[in-house]
Amino acid sequence: MALARHNLAQDWARLTLSVVGVALAVMLILLLSGFLSGMYIQIAAYLTNTPGSVVVAQDEVRNLLGVSSLLPLGATAAARTGGSRVIPILSQFVILDLHGKKQPVYLVGYDRKEGGGPWRLAAGAEPRTSYEVVFDRVLASRHNIALGEQVEIMDRDFTVVGLSDGTSSWMTSFVFVRKAAVERLLRVPGGTSFLLVTPPARTRPEVLRDRLSRVPGVEALLKRDMIANDAALFGKVFSAPIRLMVLIAFFVGTLVVGLVIYTATIERQREYGVLKAIGARNGLLYRTVLAQALIITGLGSLGGVALAFAAARLIMVLRPQFLVVLEPPAIGWALLSGLGMALLAALIPVRTIARLAPADVFRR
Amino acid sequence: MSEPLFVAEALTKRYGSGAAEVVAVRDVSLSVAPGEIVLIMGPSGSGKTTLLLMLGALLRPTAGKLWVRSTLVSGLPERKLPDVRLRQFGFVFQDFNLLSALSALENVAVVAELAGIGGGQARKRAAHLLGELGLGARLHFLPEKLSGGEKQRVALARALINDPAVVLADEPTANLDSKIGREIMRLLQRVAREQGRGVVIVSHDQRLKETADRVLWLEDGQFKAMVTMAVDPVCGMAVEREGAPTAEGKDQTYFFCSRGCRDEFLAERLEAVAPR
Repeated sequence: MALARHNLAQDWARLTLSVVGVALAVMLILLLSGFLSGMYIQIAAYLTNTPGSVVVAQDEVRNLLGVSSLLPLGATAAARTGGSRVIPILSQFVILDLHGKKQPVYLVGYDRKEGGGPWRLAAGAEPRTSYEVVFDRVLASRHNIALGEQVEIMDRDFTVVGLSDGTSSWMTSFVFVRKAAVERLLRVPGGTSFLLVTPPARTRPEVLRDRLSRVPGVEALLKRDMIANDAALFGKVFSAPIRLMVLIAFFVGTLVVGLVIYTATIERQREYGVLKAIGARNGLLYRTVLAQALIITGLGSLGGVALAFAAARLIMVLRPQFLVVLEPPAIGWALLSGLGMALLAALIPVRTIARLAPADVFRR
Repeated sequence: MSEPLFVAEALTKRYGSGAAEVVAVRDVSLSVAPGEIVLIMGPSGSGKTTLLLMLGALLRPTAGKLWVRSTLVSGLPERKLPDVRLRQFGFVFQDFNLLSALSALENVAVVAELAGIGGGQARKRAAHLLGELGLGARLHFLPEKLSGGEKQRVALARALINDPAVVLADEPTANLDSKIGREIMRLLQRVAREQGRGVVIVSHDQRLKETADRVLWLEDGQFKAMVTMAVDPVCGMAVEREGAPTAEGKDQTYFFCSRGCRDEFLAERLEAVAPR
């Protein structure tokens, strides 16, 4: 270990560069996985923060954000039988033109009495009339929209009366209006997309789900299944490239450590040969090389975690629509990745040492 | 005569086979008694290094036997040889071969640690040994901050730290000036005489003959009678007359190890006769 430490300390510039290289790789791994976690949280934000444990949708609609849903007449009444609390919403993805920029938003029509609207207001109030809207705070700030300003939604003017918190996402943000207003916009009087149903006391959500599934023309799912379906839908699109980037970051980190350890080993090949000639066993030399890799990746991984926290904070300040959540398991995985990098990086130099003939030290 | 520390019996090393076979060392026998210094000389390519490698358990002989302190080293399996090298032999190399990242003290202590001595004890022992070799004030210097002679003394301390039976030295004075070279020779002499170790030196350096108890001439892989060698008047190396660069003196011919030495010699002579 002492030899490994001294070997590394002899070239501070290289040590620093390699630690920074690993730190950047680990930071990237953490940021990407934090971004993925944040995306899942944003996807689940609406259902997580609104009441209900069962979601009722149009037949064959199994997610909230992916497709439109229009429930058959009578679904709401059927859901209410047995004393369940039912929140009807009418929602739709729409494209807004905000100061010349196209912006997709998820428009939620809800009734204040029933619920299903914004769960936290940063400013203003909920809409009282059909011409008022609550805008996501981050979206409003990105487009310089202030309270009292008029925005056009599907050719009708609405006044921004409130700004909601926790409703932003880099994919789309939530905008809340009264349900009656959405019915007019979509030309579906009395129409409902989803029901958020809370079973009465002593009724399990599964039982309620099974009962509601028997209502013709509807699909009833537990809220957690609906969230999982939304996550799977968006995960299908975003998860693969992000995981690929994580893999690339891991590969780059491994390459950085590997290259540093390999060149350090090759440079000291003669010295390792001397140690072998003197009587050091291969195991000790392997441990020295591995210790060097572990020191670099250990320092780099810790630095990477610290950098990731700093970078995540910076990203969320500069671009609040991006949520980067660094969860302990992800940090654990990033540190394990560092360990993996060290082990992989030490492989090739160890082979070089194994092949080293101690007698070569005497041959000039 | 005390019992030999180290016996090599009919060591042979062959490379290749059939028409491509090369015999680097042929039937060489050698025994070294405690306190004895054996100097092996010979022309380049004579098999000196191969012999030294076999004597140091770094190269397995094709035939023959090697005993160290009554252990048949040549019969040991490969996995046991590092331990034999660590505890029975001390190696001194021409290029010092110190670990560049470690201080003088650490360079010596690391070898004791390899032999299982604890860190603190190893450092204490190394510091004592380096102090004895006159390096007490240089313990924490990196090799790059040490002179050639100091480096070789660190290398000698490293060779001695595990109390070996035999010290094997490969051209120990080759990279040193004559004064420092003599100092290293005296140290090797002390190692043999005062500590009762066997010392085997492979060298071209004619001056080492003064220190050695026995001088062996290796040629074509076999010990032979010493040929008449000339001494390079510049560096003091033993030089085979045949093929060596020469310069004619008033009454004699001078032989040199290299053209560099000859040029230096001629330049000095020119300077001496030049009018002031």
